[in-house]
Amino acid sequence: MGAAVAVKVKLKRQDDAQVFEVELLAQNGQSDSSGARSIRLTIDGRELEASIVPMRDGCAVIELGDRHVRMAAAHRRAAILVAAGPFTAEFSIVEERAARRAGGLAAHELAAPMPGKVHKVLVAEGQRVEHGEALIVLEAMKMETTLYAESAAVVARICVAPGQMVDHGTRLIELSPPGSAATPPESPPQDD
Amino acid sequence: MSDRSITKLLVANRGEIALRIIRTARRLGIATVAVYSEADAGALHVGVADQAVFIGPPEAARSYLNADAIIGAARASSADAIHPGYGFLSERPDFARAVEQAGITFVGPPASVMSALGDKVAARKLATSLDVPVVPGLETFDERTAAAFAARAGYPLMVKAAAGGGGRGMRLVEGAAALPEALAAASREAQAAFGDGRVFLEKYLAHPRHVEVQVLGDGHGGAVALGERDCSIQRRNQKIIEESPAPGLGDALRARMIEAALRIARATGYSSAGTMEFLVAGDEFYFLEANTRLQVEHPVTEMRFGCDLVAEQLRIAMGERVIEPEPARGAAIECRIYAEDAEHGFRPATGEALYLSLPGGPGVRIDTFLTPGARVGTHYDGLLAKLICWGTDREQARLRMRSALEEFCLLGIANTAAFLRDVVASESFRDARLSTRFLEHFFPRWRPGREALDELVAAAAIAASGMFAGVGPADRTAAYSSGGAAGDGARMQGRRSPWAELGAFEPWGRRSR
Repeated sequence: MGAAVAVKVKLKRQDDAQVFEVELLAQNGQSDSSGARSIRLTIDGRELEASIVPMRDGCAVIELGDRHVRMAAAHRRAAILVAAGPFTAEFSIVEERAARRAGGLAAHELAAPMPGKVHKVLVAEGQRVEHGEALIVLEAMKMETTLYAESAAVVARICVAPGQMVDHGTRLIELSPPGSAATPPESPPQDD
Repeated sequence: MSDRSITKLLVANRGEIALRIIRTARRLGIATVAVYSEADAGALHVGVADQAVFIGPPEAARSYLNADAIIGAARASSADAIHPGYGFLSERPDFARAVEQAGITFVGPPASVMSALGDKVAARKLATSLDVPVVPGLETFDERTAAAFAARAGYPLMVKAAAGGGGRGMRLVEGAAALPEALAAASREAQAAFGDGRVFLEKYLAHPRHVEVQVLGDGHGGAVALGERDCSIQRRNQKIIEESPAPGLGDALRARMIEAALRIARATGYSSAGTMEFLVAGDEFYFLEANTRLQVEHPVTEMRFGCDLVAEQLRIAMGERVIEPEPARGAAIECRIYAEDAEHGFRPATGEALYLSLPGGPGVRIDTFLTPGARVGTHYDGLLAKLICWGTDREQARLRMRSALEEFCLLGIANTAAFLRDVVASESFRDARLSTRFLEHFFPRWRPGREALDELVAAAAIAASGMFAGVGPADRTAAYSSGGAAGDGARMQGRRSPWAELGAFEPWGRRSR
């Protein structure tokens, strides 16, 4: 337990090119019996508490303040198409930073957050990387997703090659603490 | 019993109205035949009808407007009646005549009535002869008499096509200098759209309301009215929100309008469902035109009167007499949801319904052909759905409409539901400050409000986080389905919902390894 997802993303709304800076923090393992999960959301510096309840038809209900809104989303080319109740919009991701798993250098490995194809490997084994440095580019749903280092580290092993198809959670890169020998622990600690 | 029974009905239309007509026919034990173009293979109305006949390529002119193909389809399927719906061939006297000549019952008024009322100039003359007021205007003119009329009536003026409808061949003239060009342009547009370049002049009313009366005639001299509908909320002469009763319309004025509508219906020997449209300014009303068909907004009347206008049309087509309707109850409002981008000048939108959730509940009716996976192209009118809400009073109907619009969720086709939600939620709509310029005044430029933007941004961030990538369909070819979404077609069969398999919001990696 204790894993978290934190995403910092700049989203540009296609309709008017307005850019929103969003931070999303979700604690894992905190779903209540309805499956609701709390997230903390910061939109342009404004903090919002929200919870999400996934629905069986593929959408989810977000509770934002006193409002309950049904949301659905799809990737279309490089954009994200979303519906929130009757409202719809298309966003493009301008910049995405540091999706990290909490727990210190929990990142003994970098795992694929979604199924897709390895588009580019941007680092080499033995290379020291800094927090936020781009490591690998995945291509999924016709969209490129760049994965970043969550902390300073040394690339211990690269487990995939460009062009390779990967599943959710496939180990992409193994990492060692910065300054350590380039030998990763045999079995990276798992949260659950 | 009737002299012309109907056992099999061909519906010469598509989309929601085809479905709506098929429903009633089925309930009455009448077999149904759908027609479809290439673009509509796999559309809902095709599957729902007992039988379907292919009539041609996507272009309406070669399919839904192709009278020969449709009459041929009726013959081939042994249909004994044709319901034209609205739009397409519904108001073409030639078509009605050809159908009758083929020995098939046309569900609508006879061609002669259609001709008498379909021409706006002729209809104005008829109304005047019946002492029904019309907007001051000039039917036949040359440049000199037109200028003289303009000087007398005062600018602005409207130039309208005699054969017109839907705002085409219509021009607003602000001053004398613009008159000659407006006459020429409207005439060109009318010629192109209707094959008839005749235009006429009308005094322009600044803030009129559009109020229409629903009538049913039986062709035996019987005619009844089923109240009125206020259709003032329009965009470019296209109705968007309609309601009944017309808020704040005095009883005396309403009674005079209904009486005038019935006078026109009786004088023409009207049969089937029809609508007499009026403009209302202050305590005056002016006859505008007659629509010799079922209207898009007919459910507003059905909700208030608890009736089924298509069933009435079919009864009348079978030779039965009209009967006085039950008294109206409460109030009803209709919102038309179009495939249009409201934030960008309502430009037409196309796409595929990647996710769809429709509203429900007491007093809520939705007429739509949408299903998950439904596609909307550019060939036909962009009406996606009609949402109709009834309440014991207008405010209850309005609040139901607001909730229903908030429940409506369609991903993949830009649509006007959010815009309508904001209109229905507004004070100006609550207070019924209705005129045909309502949208120009109160919603000149619309964009989502702050709360809606927060929701959209939150949804996008959740989707972008990767961890929640399973919210909604992943892309247009691989929508998630939890295995229960019946009727979604092959497209939805590929994958099961990640929610169902993984449980809520666990990172993919933990379970799948």
